[in-house]
Amino acid sequence: MTCEEFELTGLDLETLQEDDPVHSAAREHLRSCPRCAALHENWQTLRADLHAVGAETQDVVTPARVEMRLRQEFRTRHKTVKAQRAAIYAGWTLAAAAVVVAAISWVNWRHTNGVGTTPSAVNSAQGVNMNKTVPAGPELGETIVASNDAGEFTLLPGSLPGMLGDATVVRVQMQRGALGALGLTVNEERAADLIQVDLLVGDDGQPQALRLAQTTN
Amino acid sequence: MHTESQERDDVLLRRSAKGDEEAFTVLYRRHQAPLYRFALRMSGNVWAAEEIVQDVFMTLVREPRKFDPKRGALRSFLYGITRNRVLKHLERTPREFLHEELKEDSVGQPSMAFDAMTPAEWAEIRERREQVRAAVLRLPAEFREVMVLCGLEELSYEEAARLLDCPVGTIRSRLHRGRALLLAKLEMLRDTPKRAGASR
Repeated sequence: MTCEEFELTGLDLETLQEDDPVHSAAREHLRSCPRCAALHENWQTLRADLHAVGAETQDVVTPARVEMRLRQEFRTRHKTVKAQRAAIYAGWTLAAAAVVVAAISWVNWRHTNGVGTTPSAVNSAQGVNMNKTVPAGPELGETIVASNDAGEFTLLPGSLPGMLGDATVVRVQMQRGALGALGLTVNEERAADLIQVDLLVGDDGQPQALRLAQTTN
Repeated sequence: MHTESQERDDVLLRRSAKGDEEAFTVLYRRHQAPLYRFALRMSGNVWAAEEIVQDVFMTLVREPRKFDPKRGALRSFLYGITRNRVLKHLERTPREFLHEELKEDSVGQPSMAFDAMTPAEWAEIRERREQVRAAVLRLPAEFREVMVLCGLEELSYEEAARLLDCPVGTIRSRLHRGRALLLAKLEMLRDTPKRAGASR
Protein backbone atom coordinates (compact mmCIF):
# COMPACT_ATOMS: atom_id res chain seq x y z
CA MET A 1 0.00 0.00 0.00
CA THR A 2 1.29 3.44 -0.93
CA CYS A 3 1.01 6.55 1.25
CA GLU A 4 -1.66 7.92 -1.08
CA GLU A 5 -3.71 4.74 -0.84
CA PHE A 6 -3.31 4.77 2.92
CA GLU A 7 -4.62 8.34 3.13
CA LEU A 8 -7.61 7.36 1.04
CA THR A 9 -8.57 4.09 2.65
CA GLY A 10 -6.35 3.38 5.64
CA LEU A 11 -7.11 6.35 7.87
CA ASP A 12 -10.36 4.76 9.00
CA LEU A 13 -8.50 1.63 10.04
CA GLU A 14 -10.72 1.07 13.05
CA THR A 15 -13.85 0.96 10.95
CA LEU A 16 -12.45 -1.72 8.63
CA GLN A 17 -13.10 -5.41 9.21
CA GLU A 18 -10.17 -7.43 10.62
CA ASP A 19 -10.34 -9.88 7.73
CA ASP A 20 -10.47 -7.09 5.14
CA PRO A 21 -7.30 -7.20 2.97
CA VAL A 22 -7.19 -3.38 3.11
CA HIS A 23 -7.01 -3.58 6.90
CA SER A 24 -3.93 -5.78 6.95
CA ALA A 25 -2.25 -3.77 4.15
CA ALA A 26 -2.94 -0.52 6.04
CA ARG A 27 -1.57 -1.98 9.27
CA GLU A 28 1.53 -3.08 7.42
CA HIS A 29 1.97 0.36 5.88
CA LEU A 30 1.45 2.01 9.26
CA ARG A 31 4.33 0.03 10.73
CA SER A 32 6.68 0.89 7.91
CA CYS A 33 5.84 4.59 7.27
CA PRO A 34 6.40 7.06 10.14
CA ARG A 35 4.74 9.91 8.18
CA CYS A 36 1.54 7.96 7.74
CA ALA A 37 1.73 6.79 11.36
CA ALA A 38 1.85 10.43 12.50
CA LEU A 39 -0.99 11.30 10.12
CA HIS A 40 -3.04 8.42 11.46
CA GLU A 41 -2.44 9.51 15.03
CA ASN A 42 -3.39 13.10 14.24
CA TRP A 43 -6.51 11.93 12.50
CA GLN A 44 -7.50 9.76 15.44
CA THR A 45 -7.15 12.73 17.78
CA LEU A 46 -9.12 14.93 15.39
CA ARG A 47 -11.76 12.27 15.03
CA ALA A 48 -12.19 12.11 18.78
CA ASP A 49 -12.44 15.90 18.91
CA LEU A 50 -14.95 15.92 16.08
CA HIS A 51 -16.96 13.31 17.92
CA ALA A 52 -16.87 15.42 21.09
CA VAL A 53 -17.85 18.58 19.20
CA GLY A 54 -20.65 16.64 17.53
CA ALA A 55 -21.80 15.29 20.88
CA GLU A 56 -21.94 18.80 22.32
CA THR A 57 -24.50 19.84 19.75
CA GLN A 58 -26.17 16.46 19.46
CA ASP A 59 -29.18 17.40 21.54
CA VAL A 60 -29.83 20.85 20.18
CA VAL A 61 -33.26 21.43 18.73
CA THR A 62 -34.87 24.31 16.94
CA PRO A 63 -36.20 26.86 19.43
CA ALA A 64 -39.89 26.48 20.25
CA ARG A 65 -40.67 29.88 18.76
CA VAL A 66 -39.97 28.49 15.28
CA GLU A 67 -42.66 25.85 15.71
CA MET A 68 -45.07 28.51 16.95
CA ARG A 69 -44.34 30.76 13.99
CA LEU A 70 -44.72 27.88 11.54
CA ARG A 71 -48.01 26.75 13.03
CA GLN A 72 -49.28 30.31 12.93
CA GLU A 73 -48.29 30.56 9.27
CA PHE A 74 -49.89 27.18 8.60
CA ARG A 75 -53.18 28.29 10.15
CA THR A 76 -53.21 31.61 8.35
CA ARG A 77 -52.39 30.00 5.06
CA HIS A 78 -55.02 27.30 5.24
CA LYS A 79 -57.65 29.73 6.47
CA THR A 80 -56.88 31.95 3.48
CA VAL A 81 -56.98 28.99 1.13
CA LYS A 82 -60.36 27.93 2.51
CA ALA A 83 -61.71 31.45 2.11
CA GLN A 84 -60.36 31.59 -1.44
CA ARG A 85 -61.96 28.25 -2.26
CA ALA A 86 -65.30 29.39 -0.81
CA ALA A 87 -65.11 32.57 -2.92
CA ILE A 88 -64.32 30.53 -6.03
CA TYR A 89 -67.23 28.14 -5.37
CA ALA A 90 -69.57 31.08 -4.77
CA GLY A 91 -68.38 32.72 -7.97
CA TRP A 92 -68.92 29.60 -10.04
CA THR A 93 -72.35 29.02 -8.49
CA LEU A 94 -73.40 32.56 -9.33
CA ALA A 95 -72.04 32.22 -12.85
CA ALA A 96 -73.90 28.92 -13.33
CA ALA A 97 -77.12 30.48 -12.00
CA ALA A 98 -76.69 33.42 -14.38
CA VAL A 99 -76.20 31.05 -17.31
CA VAL A 100 -79.35 29.09 -16.37
CA VAL A 101 -81.40 32.30 -16.03
CA ALA A 102 -80.06 33.55 -19.36
CA ALA A 103 -80.87 30.23 -21.04
CA ILE A 104 -84.41 30.19 -19.66
CA SER A 105 -84.93 33.81 -20.72
CA TRP A 106 -83.67 33.04 -24.19
CA VAL A 107 -85.92 30.01 -24.55
CA ASN A 108 -88.89 32.09 -23.37
CA TRP A 109 -88.01 34.87 -25.77
CA ARG A 110 -87.69 32.39 -28.62
CA HIS A 111 -91.00 30.87 -27.69
CA THR A 112 -92.70 34.27 -27.53
CA ASN A 113 -91.08 35.32 -30.78
CA GLY A 114 -92.06 32.02 -32.40
CA VAL A 115 -95.77 32.75 -31.78
CA GLY A 116 -95.49 36.07 -33.65
CA THR A 117 -93.43 34.66 -36.48
CA THR A 118 -94.84 35.22 -39.95
CA PRO A 119 -96.33 32.10 -41.48
CA SER A 120 -94.09 32.58 -44.48
CA ALA A 121 -91.04 32.16 -42.28
CA VAL A 122 -92.55 29.09 -40.66
CA ASN A 123 -93.53 27.69 -44.00
CA SER A 124 -90.19 28.44 -45.44
CA ALA A 125 -88.54 26.70 -42.54
CA GLN A 126 -90.70 23.68 -43.03
CA GLY A 127 -90.08 23.77 -46.75
CA VAL A 128 -93.51 22.49 -47.68
CA ASN A 129 -96.28 23.68 -49.92
CA MET A 130 -98.92 24.97 -47.59
CA ASN A 131 -102.59 24.42 -48.17
CA LYS A 132 -103.89 26.66 -45.41
CA THR A 133 -105.89 29.72 -46.29
CA VAL A 134 -106.52 32.54 -43.97
CA PRO A 135 -109.94 33.90 -44.69
CA ALA A 136 -111.20 37.40 -44.99
CA GLY A 137 -110.05 40.64 -43.53
CA PRO A 138 -106.31 40.77 -44.01
CA GLU A 139 -104.72 44.06 -43.04
CA LEU A 140 -102.61 46.12 -45.38
CA GLY A 141 -99.26 44.48 -45.93
CA GLU A 142 -100.22 41.46 -43.85
CA THR A 143 -98.98 38.17 -45.17
CA ILE A 144 -101.35 35.25 -45.40
CA VAL A 145 -100.98 31.78 -46.73
CA ALA A 146 -102.87 31.05 -49.93
CA SER A 147 -104.05 27.85 -51.54
CA ASN A 148 -101.87 26.41 -54.22
CA ASP A 149 -104.43 24.77 -56.40
CA ALA A 150 -104.53 26.86 -59.55
CA GLY A 151 -100.96 27.06 -60.51
CA GLU A 152 -101.59 30.06 -62.81
CA PHE A 153 -98.62 31.97 -61.66
CA THR A 154 -96.75 34.52 -63.67
CA LEU A 155 -93.03 34.31 -63.36
CA LEU A 156 -91.46 37.49 -62.12
CA PRO A 157 -88.64 38.91 -64.24
CA GLY A 158 -85.38 37.16 -63.43
CA SER A 159 -87.02 33.99 -62.07
CA LEU A 160 -86.49 30.59 -63.63
CA PRO A 161 -89.17 27.92 -63.79
CA GLY A 162 -86.81 25.30 -62.38
CA MET A 163 -86.47 27.22 -59.12
CA LEU A 164 -90.11 26.76 -58.13
CA GLY A 165 -89.81 23.21 -56.84
CA ASP A 166 -90.29 23.74 -53.10
CA ALA A 167 -91.67 27.24 -53.28
CA THR A 168 -94.29 28.43 -50.82
CA VAL A 169 -97.44 30.25 -51.74
CA VAL A 170 -98.05 33.33 -49.66
CA ARG A 171 -101.04 35.60 -50.00
CA VAL A 172 -100.45 39.28 -49.34
CA GLN A 173 -102.55 42.35 -49.58
CA MET A 174 -100.78 45.24 -51.21
CA GLN A 175 -101.25 48.31 -53.36
CA ARG A 176 -101.21 47.61 -57.03
CA GLY A 177 -98.41 50.15 -57.48
CA ALA A 178 -96.14 47.90 -55.41
CA LEU A 179 -96.15 45.37 -58.23
CA GLY A 180 -93.83 47.76 -60.04
CA ALA A 181 -91.18 46.95 -57.46
CA LEU A 182 -91.43 43.30 -58.53
CA GLY A 183 -90.70 44.32 -62.12
CA LEU A 184 -94.28 44.23 -63.45
CA THR A 185 -96.06 46.91 -65.43
CA VAL A 186 -98.71 48.76 -63.45
CA ASN A 187 -101.63 50.83 -64.58
CA GLU A 188 -100.84 54.23 -63.07
CA GLU A 189 -104.48 55.20 -62.71
CA ARG A 190 -105.23 52.27 -60.40
CA ALA A 191 -101.93 52.22 -58.61
CA ALA A 192 -103.55 53.02 -55.26
CA ASP A 193 -105.95 50.06 -55.41
CA LEU A 194 -105.55 47.34 -52.82
CA ILE A 195 -105.20 43.93 -54.32
CA GLN A 196 -104.58 40.46 -52.96
CA VAL A 197 -101.74 38.66 -54.58
CA ASP A 198 -100.48 35.11 -54.17
CA LEU A 199 -96.73 35.15 -54.16
CA LEU A 200 -94.72 32.06 -54.87
CA VAL A 201 -91.77 32.45 -52.54
CA GLY A 202 -88.66 30.43 -53.27
CA ASP A 203 -86.25 28.73 -50.85
CA ASP A 204 -84.19 31.90 -50.70
CA GLY A 205 -87.19 33.89 -49.44
CA GLN A 206 -87.49 35.89 -52.67
CA PRO A 207 -90.80 35.98 -54.62
CA GLN A 208 -90.42 34.02 -57.81
CA ALA A 209 -93.91 34.25 -59.33
CA LEU A 210 -97.30 35.75 -58.57
CA ARG A 211 -100.95 35.59 -59.44
CA LEU A 212 -103.73 37.96 -58.70
CA ALA A 213 -106.15 36.46 -56.23
CA GLN A 214 -108.81 39.12 -55.96
CA THR A 215 -109.15 42.84 -55.97
CA THR A 216 -110.56 44.28 -52.75
CA ASN A 217 -110.85 47.84 -53.85
CA MET B 1 -38.93 0.14 8.43
CA HIS B 2 -37.54 2.90 6.25
CA THR B 3 -40.34 2.44 3.75
CA GLU B 4 -42.92 2.55 6.51
CA SER B 5 -41.46 5.77 7.79
CA GLN B 6 -41.43 7.19 4.28
CA GLU B 7 -45.04 6.20 3.71
CA ARG B 8 -45.97 7.79 6.96
CA ASP B 9 -44.21 10.96 5.93
CA ASP B 10 -46.15 10.88 2.67
CA VAL B 11 -49.43 10.40 4.44
CA LEU B 12 -48.64 13.13 6.94
CA LEU B 13 -47.62 15.50 4.19
CA ARG B 14 -50.79 14.80 2.24
CA ARG B 15 -52.86 15.46 5.34
CA SER B 16 -50.85 18.56 6.05
CA ALA B 17 -51.43 19.82 2.51
CA LYS B 18 -55.16 19.49 3.15
CA GLY B 19 -54.88 21.69 6.19
CA ASP B 20 -54.27 19.15 9.00
CA GLU B 21 -52.15 21.12 11.45
CA GLU B 22 -51.54 18.10 13.66
CA ALA B 23 -49.96 16.22 10.75
CA PHE B 24 -47.74 19.18 9.97
CA THR B 25 -46.63 19.42 13.60
CA VAL B 26 -45.72 15.73 13.67
CA LEU B 27 -43.69 16.14 10.50
CA TYR B 28 -41.96 19.19 11.88
CA ARG B 29 -41.07 17.57 15.16
CA ARG B 30 -39.80 14.49 13.39
CA HIS B 31 -37.39 16.30 11.09
CA GLN B 32 -36.49 19.64 12.66
CA ALA B 33 -33.64 18.55 14.94
CA PRO B 34 -31.22 17.01 12.39
CA LEU B 35 -31.92 19.85 9.97
CA TYR B 36 -31.27 22.43 12.66
CA ARG B 37 -28.06 20.69 13.71
CA PHE B 38 -26.88 20.55 10.11
CA ALA B 39 -27.67 24.23 9.54
CA LEU B 40 -26.05 25.19 12.85
CA ARG B 41 -22.88 23.21 12.24
CA MET B 42 -22.62 24.50 8.69
CA SER B 43 -23.27 28.15 9.50
CA GLY B 44 -21.96 28.33 13.06
CA ASN B 45 -24.75 30.77 13.76
CA VAL B 46 -27.84 29.95 15.83
CA TRP B 47 -29.91 32.74 14.30
CA ALA B 48 -29.07 31.70 10.77
CA ALA B 49 -29.82 28.05 11.58
CA GLU B 50 -33.18 29.00 13.08
CA GLU B 51 -34.02 31.11 10.05
CA ILE B 52 -33.00 28.36 7.66
CA VAL B 53 -35.09 25.67 9.37
CA GLN B 54 -38.07 27.98 9.48
CA ASP B 55 -37.61 28.71 5.80
CA VAL B 56 -37.40 25.00 4.95
CA PHE B 57 -40.66 24.17 6.70
CA MET B 58 -42.29 27.28 5.31
CA THR B 59 -41.58 25.81 1.87
CA LEU B 60 -43.31 22.64 3.00
CA VAL B 61 -46.34 24.66 4.11
CA ARG B 62 -46.50 26.74 0.96
CA GLU B 63 -45.58 24.21 -1.68
CA PRO B 64 -46.11 20.68 -0.37
CA ARG B 65 -46.42 19.40 -3.93
CA LYS B 66 -42.78 20.18 -4.55
CA PHE B 67 -41.99 16.92 -2.79
CA ASP B 68 -42.26 13.91 -5.05
CA PRO B 69 -42.19 10.63 -3.06
CA LYS B 70 -41.00 8.78 -6.18
CA ARG B 71 -37.73 10.72 -6.11
CA GLY B 72 -36.78 9.86 -2.54
CA ALA B 73 -37.56 10.24 1.10
CA LEU B 74 -38.91 13.42 2.62
CA ARG B 75 -35.80 13.59 4.80
CA SER B 76 -33.53 13.83 1.75
CA PHE B 77 -35.85 16.42 0.23
CA LEU B 78 -35.72 18.55 3.37
CA TYR B 79 -31.94 18.15 3.63
CA GLY B 80 -31.67 19.29 0.03
CA ILE B 81 -33.61 22.48 0.73
CA THR B 82 -31.65 23.07 3.95
CA ARG B 83 -28.40 22.62 2.12
CA ASN B 84 -29.39 25.13 -0.57
CA ARG B 85 -30.45 27.67 2.05
CA VAL B 86 -27.21 27.15 3.98
CA LEU B 87 -25.11 27.61 0.85
CA LYS B 88 -27.02 30.81 0.02
CA HIS B 89 -26.45 32.02 3.54
CA LEU B 90 -22.73 31.25 3.30
CA GLU B 91 -22.49 33.10 -0.01
CA ARG B 92 -24.02 36.17 1.57
CA THR B 93 -21.98 36.03 4.76
CA PRO B 94 -18.41 37.32 4.74
CA ARG B 95 -15.93 34.68 5.92
CA GLU B 96 -14.76 36.62 8.95
CA PHE B 97 -18.30 36.54 10.39
CA LEU B 98 -18.71 32.83 9.88
CA HIS B 99 -17.31 31.77 13.16
CA GLU B 100 -19.80 33.25 15.54
CA GLU B 101 -19.37 31.25 18.68
CA LEU B 102 -22.08 28.78 19.56
CA LYS B 103 -23.58 30.10 22.74
CA GLU B 104 -23.51 27.99 25.85
CA ASP B 105 -27.28 27.54 25.71
CA SER B 106 -27.10 26.26 22.16
CA VAL B 107 -24.67 23.43 22.87
CA GLY B 108 -25.07 20.41 25.07
CA GLN B 109 -23.91 20.32 28.63
CA PRO B 110 -20.31 19.14 29.23
CA SER B 111 -20.09 15.44 29.79
CA MET B 112 -19.57 13.85 33.19
CA ALA B 113 -15.89 13.32 32.32
CA PHE B 114 -15.37 17.06 32.76
CA ASP B 115 -16.09 16.71 36.47
CA ALA B 116 -12.91 14.67 36.97
CA MET B 117 -10.71 17.25 35.23
CA THR B 118 -8.71 20.08 36.61
CA PRO B 119 -9.72 23.56 35.41
CA ALA B 120 -6.57 23.71 33.29
CA GLU B 121 -7.35 20.44 31.54
CA TRP B 122 -10.94 21.49 31.08
CA ALA B 123 -9.87 24.80 29.56
CA GLU B 124 -7.41 23.07 27.26
CA ILE B 125 -10.05 20.67 26.00
CA ARG B 126 -12.54 23.49 25.53
CA GLU B 127 -9.97 25.42 23.58
CA ARG B 128 -9.10 22.46 21.39
CA ARG B 129 -12.73 21.80 20.59
CA GLU B 130 -13.26 25.44 19.86
CA GLN B 131 -10.38 25.22 17.41
CA VAL B 132 -11.87 22.14 15.80
CA ARG B 133 -15.23 23.88 15.44
CA ALA B 134 -13.55 26.95 13.98
CA ALA B 135 -11.49 24.84 11.59
CA VAL B 136 -14.61 23.01 10.39
CA LEU B 137 -16.36 26.32 9.79
CA ARG B 138 -13.41 27.55 7.75
CA LEU B 139 -13.54 24.58 5.37
CA PRO B 140 -14.96 25.22 1.90
CA ALA B 141 -18.68 24.42 1.87
CA GLU B 142 -18.48 21.18 -0.14
CA PHE B 143 -15.92 19.68 2.27
CA ARG B 144 -17.60 21.15 5.32
CA GLU B 145 -20.96 19.53 4.60
CA VAL B 146 -19.33 16.12 4.23
CA MET B 147 -17.34 16.66 7.41
CA VAL B 148 -20.49 17.78 9.26
CA LEU B 149 -22.49 14.79 8.09
CA CYS B 150 -19.82 12.09 8.43
CA GLY B 151 -17.64 13.59 11.15
CA LEU B 152 -20.07 15.38 13.45
CA GLU B 153 -23.42 13.76 12.67
CA GLU B 154 -21.61 10.43 12.19
CA LEU B 155 -23.70 9.28 9.27
CA SER B 156 -22.42 6.51 7.04
CA TYR B 157 -20.99 7.40 3.64
CA GLU B 158 -24.05 5.88 2.01
CA GLU B 159 -26.44 7.97 4.08
CA ALA B 160 -24.44 11.12 3.41
CA ALA B 161 -24.42 10.31 -0.31
CA ARG B 162 -28.19 9.89 -0.24
CA LEU B 163 -28.73 13.18 1.56
CA LEU B 164 -26.35 15.13 -0.65
CA ASP B 165 -27.59 13.33 -3.75
CA CYS B 166 -24.14 12.34 -4.98
CA PRO B 167 -22.18 9.08 -5.38
CA VAL B 168 -20.44 7.47 -2.39
CA GLY B 169 -17.13 7.93 -4.20
CA THR B 170 -17.63 11.69 -4.16
CA ILE B 171 -18.27 11.57 -0.41
CA ARG B 172 -15.07 9.55 0.09
CA SER B 173 -12.92 11.90 -1.95
CA ARG B 174 -14.41 15.03 -0.38
CA LEU B 175 -13.93 13.57 3.06
CA HIS B 176 -10.34 12.72 2.25
CA ARG B 177 -9.66 16.24 1.01
CA GLY B 178 -11.62 17.73 3.91
CA ARG B 179 -9.58 15.79 6.45
CA ALA B 180 -6.33 16.98 4.94
CA LEU B 181 -7.54 20.58 4.96
CA LEU B 182 -8.86 20.25 8.49
CA LEU B 183 -5.60 18.81 9.79
CA ALA B 184 -3.67 21.58 8.07
CA LYS B 185 -5.97 24.26 9.49
CA LEU B 186 -5.74 22.83 12.97
CA GLU B 187 -2.00 22.68 12.71
CA MET B 188 -2.06 26.33 11.76
CA LEU B 189 -4.49 27.29 14.53
CA ARG B 190 -2.47 25.44 17.15
CA ASP B 191 0.80 26.90 15.93
CA THR B 192 -0.44 30.49 15.91
CA PRO B 193 -0.58 30.98 19.70
CA LYS B 194 2.76 29.19 20.09
CA ARG B 195 4.37 31.45 17.49
CA ALA B 196 2.76 34.48 19.06
CA GLY B 197 4.11 33.40 22.45
CA ALA B 198 7.58 32.76 21.03
CA SER B 199 7.78 36.18 19.43
CA ARG B 200 7.08 37.91 22.74
